Amino acid sequence: MMTVPRSTRVYIWFRLLLLQASWNFERLQGVGFFYALLPGLKKLYRDEKLLEVSRKYDGYFNTHVYLAPMVVGAVLKLEEERAAGLTDADTLIDDFKEMVAAPYAAIGDALFWGGLRPLAAGVALFFAVKGILWAPLIFIVLYNIVPIWFRTVFYVRGYRQGIKSVEFIQQHRLPDWAIHTKEAAVVVLGGLSAFMVFSQLTHHQLPSWLGLLTLVPMVMLSLVARKGVSTLMLIFIAVTTILLVGVFWVDMVHLIDSWGIM
Amino acid sequence: MAFSLGLGALVSLICGLDRVAMLQIMISRPIVAAPLTALVLGEPMVGLQIGVMVELLWLARLPVGAAVPPDDTQVAVAASALAVILGHSLGSSGVELSLICLMIAIPLGKIGQLFERLARRYNGRLARRVDDALDEGSFFVAELQHLRGLTSFSLAAVGTYAVIMVGGLLTIPLVWPLVQQPLGYSSAWVQLALPLVGIAVILGTINVSRAITLFCASFCMAFLLMWLV
Repeated sequence: MMTVPRSTRVYIWFRLLLLQASWNFERLQGVGFFYALLPGLKKLYRDEKLLEVSRKYDGYFNTHVYLAPMVVGAVLKLEEERAAGLTDADTLIDDFKEMVAAPYAAIGDALFWGGLRPLAAGVALFFAVKGILWAPLIFIVLYNIVPIWFRTVFYVRGYRQGIKSVEFIQQHRLPDWAIHTKEAAVVVLGGLSAFMVFSQLTHHQLPSWLGLLTLVPMVMLSLVARKGVSTLMLIFIAVTTILLVGVFWVDMVHLIDSWGIM
Repeated sequence: MAFSLGLGALVSLICGLDRVAMLQIMISRPIVAAPLTALVLGEPMVGLQIGVMVELLWLARLPVGAAVPPDDTQVAVAASALAVILGHSLGSSGVELSLICLMIAIPLGKIGQLFERLARRYNGRLARRVDDALDEGSFFVAELQHLRGLTSFSLAAVGTYAVIMVGGLLTIPLVWPLVQQPLGYSSAWVQLALPLVGIAVILGTINVSRAITLFCASFCMAFLLMWLV
């Protein structure tokens, strides 16, 4: 059976880093999928057949950018089988792409954008708030370990297992990991908020117990955000409130002093 | 100033491309992009300050499907560049100036969404040109159309940066004398409030059952530990 050489597969992996270069509202990552796969197709087909197969890949396609390599790897394997006449893979490949794209996108969005990104940001911000200039590097390293693993290992798995690579995803129970990562992110963000509030109160020599009151506006803001109020509006409300309080701050301190609780 | 503006534009371009078009290694996140901008302009701490304030604000807005989240990359890059450049020209520095730069950059950053939508719409034409190229049997031209998409994303990134910079350079020197003192009273609290607003939005939108309970428990535990230790 004719196979795509290892060097071409490596080249395709690098091309996948440009998957979204021409992202558009009509086909989303479709053209990028074609662009990444093309060197492999060129090894398997010639002339009219190559053109015919290529046209199938520049249509609509959308999945998570870190899980796309797995789809490309699997499609490459299926194309090898089709080129060798082992399967009637015409509809099989289209069905496979359609079948996995949306679930992979949902898994990736929840795991990477919804979970890992806030988690890594939360950890890095601890360092940033302390004024440590390495914080951005810590964020990049912490965040990228998992995506790079997905982009490489899952690509290789996709190529080796073809259509059965779906089982590999199922074995890893990624939706469960997404939930765990999000929960970890919430815990880290809780710790980060406490750290920032505590540092601020200590810096201004204010009583520490006041910090616990921060939870009230935060919970209120989160409930308002859940109702769909934009972040821009919430920033406006928060900043305006603080500026107004700032104007009357001295009077407020005198008032709290008179209560004798400072 | 022109050299600094050019350096800022270069960072804006590189980080802007990482956002959607290539790599996605997250150098486009404000916690990276803002210190990087300020570092090339010679004052990395200013960027770190701005990165902390912007990073969490729109983190809850996921780039899912055809959704275009607000361009926090360009807000962070431009606010950092403004803070460093105006810090020199106004002879001022500190959190207050960073904050006013950010307050100008945040609303202007909405333009970024518009530019990015335009870029993505233009890329639709490129997709149709790929069809034409394949009809003519030219793979080279087809591949070239895909790479041309990088140009439209680059223009969107630099365009957003330019709008924020022009807006900031025109308005901040005028409003700075008026807001410097009032901001002095409350700048530290605004600096604290911005990441907390971002965290509140994440809590409100993250799809985790009992997220608020988990957050409050974690907050109280960490706070009590710091208080007692």
